[in-house]
Amino acid sequence: MSNALAGATVPALGWSWGDLLFLVLSGTMLAAALTVVVNRDIIRSGLAMIVAFAALAGIYVLLGAPLVAAAQVLIYIGAISVLVLFAIMLTQTKVGPIRLVFHHQAWAGAAAAVVLAAILIGVITGTDWPDAVAHQAHTATDALARLLFSDYVLPLEVVSVLLLAAVVGGVFLAKRDEPQGEER
Amino acid sequence: MSNQLLVLALLALPLAGFALTAAFGRLLMPRAWLIAVPAVILAWAVGMVLVYRTLSGQLGDGFAFTLYTWIPAGSFRVDVNFAVDNLTAALLIVVTTIGMLVHVYSIGYMAHDPGKWRFFAYLNFFMFSMLLLVLAGNYLLLFMAWELVGLSSYLLIGFWYQRRSAALAAKKAFLVNRVGDVGFSIGIWALWTTVGSLNFSDVFRVIPEKLAAGQLQPWMVTGIVLLLFCGAVGKSAQFPLHVWLPDAMEGPTPVSALIHAATMVNAGVYMVARSSPLFSLSSSAMVVVAAIGIFTALLAASIAFTQTDIKRVLAYSTLSQLGYMFAALGVGAYAAAIFHLMTHGFFKGLLFLDSGSVIHGVHDEQDMNRMGGLWRKMPITHATMLVGSLAIAGIPPLAGFFSKDEILGASFRNGFYVVWLIGVVVAGMTAFYMFRLMGKTFYGPSHVDPDVHPHEAPPSMTVPLILLAIPAALLGLAIGWPPEAGLVHRWLDPIFAPAEQTLGLHPEAFQVFGIDGVLVLVSVTLATAGLIVAVRLFGVRLPGRDVEPRPTIVEAGTARLRPLYVASYHKWWFDDVYHGLFFVIGGAVAQGAWWFDSHIIDGVVNGVGAVTTLAGRELRRIQTGRVQNYALGIALGLLVMAAGFLVATTR
Amino acid sequence: MSHSLDAYLILSALLFCVGMFGFLARRNAIAMLMSIELMLNAVNLTIVAFGAFVPALTVHASAIALMVISVAAGEATVGLAIVIAIFRNRRTPLVDEYDRMRE
Repeated sequence: MSNALAGATVPALGWSWGDLLFLVLSGTMLAAALTVVVNRDIIRSGLAMIVAFAALAGIYVLLGAPLVAAAQVLIYIGAISVLVLFAIMLTQTKVGPIRLVFHHQAWAGAAAAVVLAAILIGVITGTDWPDAVAHQAHTATDALARLLFSDYVLPLEVVSVLLLAAVVGGVFLAKRDEPQGEER
Repeated sequence: MSNQLLVLALLALPLAGFALTAAFGRLLMPRAWLIAVPAVILAWAVGMVLVYRTLSGQLGDGFAFTLYTWIPAGSFRVDVNFAVDNLTAALLIVVTTIGMLVHVYSIGYMAHDPGKWRFFAYLNFFMFSMLLLVLAGNYLLLFMAWELVGLSSYLLIGFWYQRRSAALAAKKAFLVNRVGDVGFSIGIWALWTTVGSLNFSDVFRVIPEKLAAGQLQPWMVTGIVLLLFCGAVGKSAQFPLHVWLPDAMEGPTPVSALIHAATMVNAGVYMVARSSPLFSLSSSAMVVVAAIGIFTALLAASIAFTQTDIKRVLAYSTLSQLGYMFAALGVGAYAAAIFHLMTHGFFKGLLFLDSGSVIHGVHDEQDMNRMGGLWRKMPITHATMLVGSLAIAGIPPLAGFFSKDEILGASFRNGFYVVWLIGVVVAGMTAFYMFRLMGKTFYGPSHVDPDVHPHEAPPSMTVPLILLAIPAALLGLAIGWPPEAGLVHRWLDPIFAPAEQTLGLHPEAFQVFGIDGVLVLVSVTLATAGLIVAVRLFGVRLPGRDVEPRPTIVEAGTARLRPLYVASYHKWWFDDVYHGLFFVIGGAVAQGAWWFDSHIIDGVVNGVGAVTTLAGRELRRIQTGRVQNYALGIALGLLVMAAGFLVATTR
Repeated sequence: MSHSLDAYLILSALLFCVGMFGFLARRNAIAMLMSIELMLNAVNLTIVAFGAFVPALTVHASAIALMVISVAAGEATVGLAIVIAIFRNRRTPLVDEYDRMRE
């Protein structure tokens, strides 16, 4: 997809369509992510998270990884986000949105995040990635499938067992006290 | 069955008997022997097949096999392997036969004991351990079995653990054995570091090679064998570690017969004989072995003169006979030592079982001053014990005569005249104290409590007595005739040939009308003299000849030899000296060490603890219990690490 | 810009820092869990970006990213179940009131 757009440029700005798309998607994602962490209303946070996930799926497409993008949509948006929203609704106390959203150590967290970001950006720009090429490759889905069921077959099976364990564990934890327990 | 299977069955049967009796013995009460005794009888049958196959020469020099690798730790590799040869077979005869008879005897002896299921379980466990000891093919497995027989001995001495004296005796036996075992284990470790293997065959091959090649100094070999000998001294109760064996008589009498007379205490003799290729490399070590052996023989015989507890007399006599065996090992008469081990196993086992029968008959009385006149009440016991006493006294043609005279003859011929001289004297002493025992128990006037009516033991006890009396009488003739060329020599000489070659000994024909005949005549004369003196003093009643005891002469004699009498009666004060050394002085040292420990060491430890507590109390404030505080800590730590890494790499 | 590895990595770093901030700062347990999801996504983005720009990693990156997504799903399940269980005990979703670990 990005290859198809690579040649063309956006009329007014002179950017390539790929760059424009990247900027839009990453801007959306960061804004949504910030909303997630700062919004007073936890339900809005949950909804913003869905937006962030969706934007990230778009970025995966830009990176030529369509299957990961599909998995992102299916699992993160379809499953995890819904799970989170359910959990939010189950744990909403009747007093409504909590007045004090942030912990009293929020300033320290913010400082840590800023410093970490500075360090990471410094490292990233300062590093000359030796093996990287200029143009990103496109992941062939059939090659990925072949790999998953050959070299990665043991991790795949382990992950499936892990998911089963997570399901059993989740049911056990959520049901333990009251027999009628919440369904998920 | 294949030979390997025989070996495994021989071990598995008593082990299974132990496990089943330990698990279900309580349910079998009052017939707790129902599993244990058949298991041992089966083991005896298996053992006999194995012995026959080995001794008949079907297996050549015997066989060895590895069951599995026990300790595969890098270059340190020890297998569970077994080696069977004629020496093993000779020991198997003693262990399985006496073991089986003692088990049968115990059915009667322990009939009224409420804890007898425990007793039979332990006995089976002992049989397993002892067989493992005899069959082991390397020093570490031998050592493990060595400790296992020590454990079962501990358990059985302390079988009546409610009795304080029994519990103390068990502890004493265990601790005294530890002293020897420390040396033994260091010796095994030294063998490992010099040879790199603990298998008998490897050790016996490599050590002489290294010695010949000059890689090993002679003093090192002497050190190693003396360390091994330490273990033998402890297990076989030789001077100076002999103090545990008399106390071990606190255990039930079948235990005394099996473990503390016929089998376990022979383990030291067996180990030294097994290691003969090593011992023969060091003549100074051989002299030490001979000296300790013959000294113990003399010491124990002198103590046996005055003891009044029937089992203790026998215990000192066991010490004395074991001393003979070590003397034989020391002078290079290995086959004679094993020969004496076999005959002694039978006649001493018999004597102990007889004493058990007597004790049983007079209702748990062990003091000979409270016995007497029992020969008419307990005819079978009396007859068999007479056989045993004549055998141990060395009266021809009973078993003890042949084996003892081989030892004495060999020590004379190999130039150990002092050993011979003391040995002959001890032979006379042996005859004396045994017939003192016989006289006091069976012939003299009855001092039995009038309320007690002595009675003969039940058949389960008398049948083993009779069965043991046969080999006690005839075994010497059967395997020891003709002298120096009997069956026992045909079996064992190939085993000991390398050692004898190292020592430069040449087997010589027995000269009946030469020096050997004279030697035999001397020792038999002395033994007979001892016997006659004892009979004169303490009496005898035989068909057609009654001799009344003469207590007045005995008293006059003891009065004249009062210092010797007192010394003997107090066992030369060994227990008191050891008490002084290890309890009083050792206790004071321990007290000092304890003070140092509680004030200095503990002070330091407590100080560190106090500082830690204080620090913890203060640092506790930062433990808020809130996850996010911790997460912030993690994040800050990560940042510090990242920054530090950056600084370090960009410099 | 969309052809530069650095751009994607910086984006991923920013996303991670946002998530970290959320985890450290929010009082609500579910918001913290959502922050964790953001951080996991940032990691995934890094993996996929490397896959796109390093030829040797191309297919492997996608496979690993799929694994991460699956594990994240499991993590979310258990994490939310724990939050609900705690909530049922303490009647509050606010983490700074969970300080039983102090004792």
